[in-house]
Amino acid sequence: MIETHSVTAPNPIVQVRDLDFYYGSAQALHGLNLDFPRNMVTALIGPSGCGKSTFLRCLNRMNDLVDGARVVGSICLDGTEVNTADTDIIELRRRVGMVFQKSNPFPKSIYENAIYGLRIAGIKERAVLDETVEKSLKGAALWDEVKDRLHQSALGLSGGQMQRLCIARAISVNPEVILMDEPCSALDPKSTARIEGLIGELREEYTIIIVTHNMQQAARVSDYTAFLYEGVLVEFGLTKDLFVKPKSKQTEDYITGRFG
Amino acid sequence: MKKCRELVAERAFLLSALASSSITVAILAFMVFMGLPLMRQGGLYQLLLKPWAPYQGSFGIYPMIMGTGAISLLSLLFAFPLSLGCSFLIGSIAPKPAGRGFRRLIELMTGIPTVIYGFVGIFLLVPIVRELFQRGSGLCILTAALVLGIMITPTMTLFFCDSFDRIPRTYLDAADALGASPVQKLLYVILPAAKNGMLNGVILSLGRAVGDTLIALMLAGNAVRVAESVLEPARTLTAHIALVIAADYESPEFRSIFACGVVLYLFTMAVTFLVRYLSFTKDTTV
Repeated sequence: MIETHSVTAPNPIVQVRDLDFYYGSAQALHGLNLDFPRNMVTALIGPSGCGKSTFLRCLNRMNDLVDGARVVGSICLDGTEVNTADTDIIELRRRVGMVFQKSNPFPKSIYENAIYGLRIAGIKERAVLDETVEKSLKGAALWDEVKDRLHQSALGLSGGQMQRLCIARAISVNPEVILMDEPCSALDPKSTARIEGLIGELREEYTIIIVTHNMQQAARVSDYTAFLYEGVLVEFGLTKDLFVKPKSKQTEDYITGRFG
Repeated sequence: MKKCRELVAERAFLLSALASSSITVAILAFMVFMGLPLMRQGGLYQLLLKPWAPYQGSFGIYPMIMGTGAISLLSLLFAFPLSLGCSFLIGSIAPKPAGRGFRRLIELMTGIPTVIYGFVGIFLLVPIVRELFQRGSGLCILTAALVLGIMITPTMTLFFCDSFDRIPRTYLDAADALGASPVQKLLYVILPAAKNGMLNGVILSLGRAVGDTLIALMLAGNAVRVAESVLEPARTLTAHIALVIAADYESPEFRSIFACGVVLYLFTMAVTFLVRYLSFTKDTTV
C-alpha cells in the first residue's frame, strides 16, 4: 500500500480531483488529487512509466488524441471544469500551452514559428504580429540571438535555441499555464542552464508545470514538487521540504537514488 | 558448390534486369522505327500539329493530343478536391477504425477494372449530362473527365494519405498544443509539410489519366477534331490507337498510331523523371 502525503497549495490555478486515467483496460493513473499553485513552478518527478507525462497531457487534454484513452475525474482551470465532453479544447489549449521533450519547431522561419499561435487565432495585423514576435522571443531569452535573422529557417538554430523558440511559440498566445514535458532532456548542460534560468523568469507571468527525470533540476527550478509512483501521487509539497525531509519512505528512496 | 550457386543466381538476376530495361528501350525504338516513314514524309511538325483527315492525306494527331490534354487535366481538376477530402477524412477527421475501413474501401477501388467505370458512366452519367446541358449525345469531354476523375481519385487519395502519414508526429503535436482546429491543422501544418508527396500523387495520377484508354473510348465520343467546349466530343491518343489499330498494316493511318505511342511514351518518361526528381528533393520550405 502506497501512503499518500499531500498539502493543498495556496492560490491554486489548476485543481485536480480523483483523476483516473485508462489506456484501454489498463489504469495508468489512480485517483490523483493535487492543486497547482498560481505563478509557481511545480515539478512532477518519478521513475519512468510512473505516469507523470500522461498526467501532464491530461491537463491540456492532449490524451484525447490517443486511441483508447479515457480520463475520469475532475480538472478545474481557474475554477472551471475542463475535463468534460463539451469543453472547448481549442480554447483550453490556448490557455494551457505546452513545450515538448524534443523541440519541434515547424520547418518555417523563426518569425513564422513565433507567431504560429496567432496565425491560427486569425490575427493578421502586421504590427501586432511584429510586436508579439519581439515580446515572446524576448520572453524566451532568444531575441538577442535571432533578431537579425528572423526570416531564416528555424531549423538552422541550435538545439537549445530551438527549444527556446518552442517556448516563445507557447507564450506568444499568452497562456495562463505552461506545461513542459522534460524540456531539457535532449539538451547539453549549457543550454539546460539557460532554459532553467528562463523557467525561473517565466514564473513571474505564468504557472509552470514541468515533468523532469532529473531530480537536481526539479530541486533547482521548482517551488513545489509532486512525486508519482506507479500512477499514484505519493507525495506533494514544497520542493525544499520534499527534498530535505520527505514524509514518505518511497520518496526518500527515490530522491536518494535507491531506485528509479 | 556454394560459390557456383551464388554465381548462377547473380547472373540470373543480372539477366532479368537487363531484359526488362532493354525491353523498355526496345519499345521506344520500335515505335520510332514504325512511325519513321510517316514522320519523314511530312516531318514531325506536320504529324504533331496537323488535323486528322486521312482522305486528304493528313495524318496529324494534334486533335488527339489536345483531347488527351483536355480530358486528363479536367479529370485532375475533379479528382484533386475529391482526393483531398477523402484523404483528410481518413487521416484526421474520421475516428481511427472508420478511417481504416474507409481506406480499405479506397484500396479496393483502385483494383476495379476501368471498363466497369466506363459502363457506369454510359448508363448513369451520359443521360444526366445529355439532359442537363441539352446538347449532343452526352458523350463528351466533360463526361469522360468526370468518370476518369473518379477513377483516379483512389490512387491520388492513397498517395495523399501516405504523405500525410509521413508528417512528423511532433508537428501535429505542436499544432494541437497551440489550439489548432482540425481544418487549421490541415491548412497550416499538414498541407505545407506534405506538399511534395502530394505533388507526386498528382503527377502519377495524371500519368494514369493520360494512359487510360477505355474510359475516353467509351465516353468521350471520339470525334477527331479539336473540341471548342467541354460538351463536345473528343478523342484521346490512347483511344485513337485503339480505334485505328484495325486499319491496314501498311497504311499511313496505321503508321500514325506509332507517333501517338511515342508521344505517350515520352510523356510517361517525363512524369517518371519528374516524380523521381521531386522525391529526391528534400523539403526546404521556409
